[in-house]
Amino acid sequence: MRIKVRYFARYRSLVGKSEEELEVPEGITVGELIEVLKERHNVLRNEVFAEEDDLADVNVSRNGRYVRFDEVLRDGDVVALFPPVSGG
Amino acid sequence: MLSERELERYDRQIMIFGKEGQERLKGSKVAVVGVGGLGSPVAYYLAAAGIGTILLVDEQTPELSNLNRQILHWEDDVGRNPKPVSAKWKLNRFNSDIAVRSFIGRLTEENVEEVLGDVDIIVDCLDNFETRFLLDDYAHRRRVPLVHGAVEGTFGQVTTIVPGVTKSLRELFPRVGEREGKFPILGATAGVIGSIQAMEVVKLLTGVGEPLLNKLLIVDLAFNAFDVVELR
Repeated sequence: MRIKVRYFARYRSLVGKSEEELEVPEGITVGELIEVLKERHNVLRNEVFAEEDDLADVNVSRNGRYVRFDEVLRDGDVVALFPPVSGG
Repeated sequence: MLSERELERYDRQIMIFGKEGQERLKGSKVAVVGVGGLGSPVAYYLAAAGIGTILLVDEQTPELSNLNRQILHWEDDVGRNPKPVSAKWKLNRFNSDIAVRSFIGRLTEENVEEVLGDVDIIVDCLDNFETRFLLDDYAHRRRVPLVHGAVEGTFGQVTTIVPGVTKSLRELFPRVGEREGKFPILGATAGVIGSIQAMEVVKLLTGVGEPLLNKLLIVDLAFNAFDVVELR
């Protein structure tokens, strides 16, 4: 199935584009997608995504709604990744 | 009651929410926690709008490298006047019809009740999630709305927490890891995000429009991106 991934803030700068379409296995979860993205873009692994999956330091929305990592994706989904920010 | 002077001063915004709305702003007490990059525009615009009482909370004194964004602090304040004192001095001269209170110190479990006391709304202008969660807990205990904002670089986010209506900050950002050391930030980024936070306060108090309840606004000014993520 095909999904679209959108990158925000420093993810966008690191990946070098605002969005991309990907072919992914049926039934993939948000957490598994993040693994795929780490493989695809090494800069994400090195700079922003925690090594421990359950500690991954990233916020994710699916079709405009905030989701947890165990949520299963469907064909045509738009997944957005945005970094946590804490500055004031 | 609004004085003749107040009716004139706030004339252009009374056109939006009426005298009744302006009275509500005048009768409200809002805490700005963190008087830095976000706290500066937030406190400035709340003072401009005529919020009756503004409480400023911070423990730091301005440094030279703060001045690219913390626009309520000037060169004379660097290394000298604690941020709440520095900001209060300007706000008093900007709007003498409102009361500006200051607390110089860090919020803790022990002092949060006493410091925030009877505020109607809390604005989160902090730079760390540890203290944000303290505010979040307090807001839920006292059922006070909390307007969250955070910035980094050219990016920022805003959401408004209303206990009983929205998710808490802890629920939204359970995995948040603190970034160590200094982070990049441009003044205009804090200006945009802080202005949106001030707008949230005015919306909550006057009933104008729709506050960002169960919605996270994410903004990337480098790429002209404004997105609203549903949090339900």
